[in-house]
Amino acid sequence: MNKLKVSLVKEILLLLSDKVGLLLMFVMPLLLVFIITVVQDSAFKLVNENKIEMLVVNKDQGNLGDSLIDKLAISGSFNIEVSNELDKTDIKKQTLNRDKLIAILIPINFTKKINQNSEKTSNLMLTEFGVIDSSMVQPKNQSYNNYNLDFYFDPILQENFRLSILSGINTVIVGIENRKMLQQLFSDMGYDKIPNHIQKELGQQNVSINSSPASNGSSVMVPNSSQHNVPAWSLFAMFFMVISLGGNIVKERLSGSFVRLQTIPIAFFLTIWSKVIVYIFVSLSQLTIMFCIGMFVFPYLGLPELKMPTNILALIVISVLSAYAAISYSMLIGVYAKTQDQAGGFGAISIIIFAAIGGIWVPSFIMPEYMQNIGMISPLHWCIEGYYSLFLKNGEWNELTGTLIYLLLFIFGCQFFTFIKLRKQNYI
Amino acid sequence: MESPIITAVSLTKFYGNSEKPSLDNINLTIYKGEKFGVLGPNGAGKTTLISLFCNIIKSTSGTIEYTFDNQKKNIKEKFNQVGFVPQDFAFYAELTAKQNLYYFGGVYGMSSINVKEQTTHLLEILGLTSVADKKVKSYSGGMKRRLNLAIGLIHSPEIIFLDEPTVGVDIHSKLTIINHLEELNKKGVTIIYTSHHLKEAEDFCSRVALMDNGKVIALDTVAELIKINKAANLEELMINLTGKELRD
Repeated sequence: MNKLKVSLVKEILLLLSDKVGLLLMFVMPLLLVFIITVVQDSAFKLVNENKIEMLVVNKDQGNLGDSLIDKLAISGSFNIEVSNELDKTDIKKQTLNRDKLIAILIPINFTKKINQNSEKTSNLMLTEFGVIDSSMVQPKNQSYNNYNLDFYFDPILQENFRLSILSGINTVIVGIENRKMLQQLFSDMGYDKIPNHIQKELGQQNVSINSSPASNGSSVMVPNSSQHNVPAWSLFAMFFMVISLGGNIVKERLSGSFVRLQTIPIAFFLTIWSKVIVYIFVSLSQLTIMFCIGMFVFPYLGLPELKMPTNILALIVISVLSAYAAISYSMLIGVYAKTQDQAGGFGAISIIIFAAIGGIWVPSFIMPEYMQNIGMISPLHWCIEGYYSLFLKNGEWNELTGTLIYLLLFIFGCQFFTFIKLRKQNYI
Repeated sequence: MESPIITAVSLTKFYGNSEKPSLDNINLTIYKGEKFGVLGPNGAGKTTLISLFCNIIKSTSGTIEYTFDNQKKNIKEKFNQVGFVPQDFAFYAELTAKQNLYYFGGVYGMSSINVKEQTTHLLEILGLTSVADKKVKSYSGGMKRRLNLAIGLIHSPEIIFLDEPTVGVDIHSKLTIINHLEELNKKGVTIIYTSHHLKEAEDFCSRVALMDNGKVIALDTVAELIKINKAANLEELMINLTGKELRD
């Protein structure tokens, strides 16, 4: 017992003396989680809460161009500045000069083209219903006119935001086209205008979309940037122990401390196990601190609160296995690296690659299929899958089977190759 | 003195796929209470022999027997009666001297009280008391060498293996180390020691084995070897027996 105690004390003292390692394990993840969550939250608010600055140049000679501008303004998504004096050549320059993210140029024949297309649709429908004879329809009205609305954007605008804005504008245009087409239809049937009660119905959206996250159990966990980022970056930081633990093992090997321990039976195993115990404690401390900050500090900073999963036992099991996987990987690097720099450099880069392909930085599902397959070799992928099951879907044990099996295999693999190397060097 | 404590029979060691043995059929008996020197040029096999004695590496063939209290024992059974002082600084530079000694004493299975007493004693004897609570990485080479020795002695072993214990230290540290080893030997501790300092070995060792190319080429007391080989001293004897060719 005394042997284990002194080994644990030694490991703790070595850990406390490694200031850089402690910074990497405790301060870096806090900064990462805070920065990434703030950035993602701001991006979300940019699209969903803030109005997008838009420059509009309306060259339309009819009234539908103005109607389009009114409806874009009513949508609440845009701050619109109309500047009809601009032409096609200087609209790009003015978009940037006036700090606008986007600009649209409504063409000269916008109303005319929509009207012509509406007439054609109306004729086709009335012919189809047998209300008018097809011979009455003039041949020139049988084909549709295409028209272009020019869209300009600041190059800093990311593609997903740009597509989202385009989709919003498109919805407004489709609404205008449909209304115009109905007006034409009623007009062709002898009405002055669309009857008021129909007009009223058309103004209402009868299909609403109820959005709710898919999850198990009765509690509904709403995904937010904290639910994604806190577990992800905590895992990233946990695996960064490779710098401290891996380097620590290389140092002990090269200094001859391991050789001295070879002359003392059991001491070597005690050294290894005391490292495992201390670093599991370190990893769980990292997670506890990060989760507490997500739960209690984030709301005060205007960030979404981290909601803990209901299956706490599963959370503990996944956390301990993730920690053990990180420790096993660090030990593997520690016994194979020839120098401390090699352990630190290779260890850090490999963790960054594991994080990138494993879905820590961007979700795996948006990667190409071959990258998703490659990502499955990353222990971080399985750790984060386990956490996402718990934090985002309120997952049950059966959904964690893949994570548990992979992590156990990864741990076994790392330990096996560590054992082989230590055996080869006659340490055990 | 004539009670054997270590007996090596036909000890041979090949490293990896090497065709040349690092140790070639070594037969050697070391007696209780001896100050036994293992001397030779670079690559002679000194460190390999010490490593085999300490169970750090395994021999390719041959046996090593330890005798404690007139009973033949495996070194694993009596590990806490054997001390090892490697040539490298085998300690934790980020810890203090006290923390290092407490740790190594603890893993040898000593009680907390014994470890504390022995730590105080060794730090005093080896002149490290004033820096006992400073991190070892701030020590001079001589202080590190003395701490390296102290760790090997923390559990008061009956046999001590020392691989180049005075390499790279000043005369004061060297004297402190040698004097302490003399003291221990007077109390019955067997010392097996390797060194390149032949003058130091000549003064210190009661018996030496001169090695070259993995073989023991001479084995006797220093005085007898010098007399038989008609050499002026151990240095001349070494040159006579191993030649002047450079060794790496």
